[in-house]
Amino acid sequence: MNTISVKNLKRIYKTTTGVIRRKTKEVEAVKDISFEISKGELFGLLGPNGAGKTTTTKVLTTLLIPNAGEVKINGLDIVKDANEIRKQIGFIFGGERGLYWRLSGIDNLRYFASLYHIEPEVSKKRIPYLLDLVGLKGRGDERVEGYSRGMKQRLHVARTLLHDPDILFLDEPTIGLDPVGAREFREVIRDLQAEKKTILLTTHYMFEADSLSDRVAVIDDGIIVALDTPSALKKHVRDLSVVEIETFGIAEIVVNKIRALPFVDAVSTREQDQRQVLLVQTERGAEAVPDLMKSLEGQRVGRVTVREPTLEDAYVRLVGGKS
Amino acid sequence: MRIITNNLRLFWQGTLLSYIALFVWLRPTTYIASKVLMPLAQILFFSFLGSYASGGTNVDFYVIGNAIQIVAVSGIFGVTLSIGGDRWNGTLPYLFGTPANRMMLFFGRAFMHIFDGALGVVIALGWGALLFGLDFSQTDLFALGITILVTTISTCGLGLMMGCLSLITANVMFVNNTVYFLLLIFSGANIVLETFPNWMQIISQMLPLTRGIASARLLISGSSLAEVTPLVLGELGIGIIYGWLGFYLFKWVENQAKRKGTLDLV
Repeated sequence: MNTISVKNLKRIYKTTTGVIRRKTKEVEAVKDISFEISKGELFGLLGPNGAGKTTTTKVLTTLLIPNAGEVKINGLDIVKDANEIRKQIGFIFGGERGLYWRLSGIDNLRYFASLYHIEPEVSKKRIPYLLDLVGLKGRGDERVEGYSRGMKQRLHVARTLLHDPDILFLDEPTIGLDPVGAREFREVIRDLQAEKKTILLTTHYMFEADSLSDRVAVIDDGIIVALDTPSALKKHVRDLSVVEIETFGIAEIVVNKIRALPFVDAVSTREQDQRQVLLVQTERGAEAVPDLMKSLEGQRVGRVTVREPTLEDAYVRLVGGKS
Repeated sequence: MRIITNNLRLFWQGTLLSYIALFVWLRPTTYIASKVLMPLAQILFFSFLGSYASGGTNVDFYVIGNAIQIVAVSGIFGVTLSIGGDRWNGTLPYLFGTPANRMMLFFGRAFMHIFDGALGVVIALGWGALLFGLDFSQTDLFALGITILVTTISTCGLGLMMGCLSLITANVMFVNNTVYFLLLIFSGANIVLETFPNWMQIISQMLPLTRGIASARLLISGSSLAEVTPLVLGELGIGIIYGWLGFYLFKWVENQAKRKGTLDLV
């Protein structure tokens, strides 16, 4: 049996504008998505901002009621059995918030332990164990307000593991962390994988999804556009090469001009300090470089490289070069 | 039995830790100022004003009324911050994502403020004795203690309801201030209730504090606990009604947040 089963999930938000003549607008954040996650699997959910990742996670964590569809966790219905499901899952939303900053790390954990009805004799042993697990040994007595962002994120992990849930939802857990903090955090996720936890991970970072996920679903505009293993997803772009062109202050109009070239499959840009790196997907590989340079005449251009596609390139192609 | 123990633990830890978590920003000097100076300022202002307006005949009326009304600082502002604090801390989704008993969670937030509020009244009455010669020689102090505690509980009941508003509006401090000043009028702290038009008297009877203030005045002037029992029970009843309304509002807010996804909660 699958641990998580999502069938035809739909979630609509209604927004109203105006004071006297109020207008209601419906936004379909999740249009119709279905997927299943097996026990012990790490399932990555990728997508651009507003694609529906967080909405999906909120539904799965009982914080939003779906408008349509069926969602089951360990065979339990997400709406009818919400309270039972809450005992079996843990979740983290990215960012620093969600902790009592004026309390110590230990007091935060003590409080959440009581919310999960954990016996004091159990939490007395479990809290030091978890602080050690997430690398906060010796820092538990300090107030959370003095923690770095990475430490707060790790305390969130300890919090979510208090009741030893089998299923974890990690919604962009490394967002805002420095590279060292993010790498340490990924190590914690690997440890959880080794403990056979079932994990749903949403992330913007492709290499993170690539290195951690057993399977990845790419979600765009409320629907799943691809669902496979990272290596199978990369096959979507195996016939392509990626030309990376370093530019300085490139205008959107020029990017669109390149996007319109007949031999270009997809284009995205990546900000890097003062530079913008153009990522051009093309079947022509290095042969496309002279034509691309012609389109960039008058622009300040730096290093140009041609490389094999990655999961990120597959993702860009799947979501239409939006990111 | 285990469920009861778990819930009592949640109530106690929720009470203590949430109070520390959300109020420890009050440095000792700020706390002392709010507990000592604010009651002093309120009592001085209204007692001198009332005394001047009434020809200086009944200063005790204003001193007692304002001393008891001080519970609204903890009961309204304190409890509201306790509940709204979870929204501002971003901890609300994590609370709603737990299987915790909502009743224990909700009422636990008000518990410390009951004692905090009662302490504020004791200090305010102390100012009354010190500066205006408020005389307790005829007072059944035990009965007065019960009255103060019950009045604080009932005001916290209203505070719990107001706290739920802090989950759905960003302007709850404006609402709180309005309620605080309306209580100054409608509770009879500064105006004899019988001088109100009927509709205002009806509103007065529907609010916490009204019966508590009346009871405290009677007790300090020498009445017995038996004589004020109906007032004290009425005050308690009002508090329970507001507390329950607040709890159902809290559950409604949680439900709406999940159903509509339009609130700031999740």
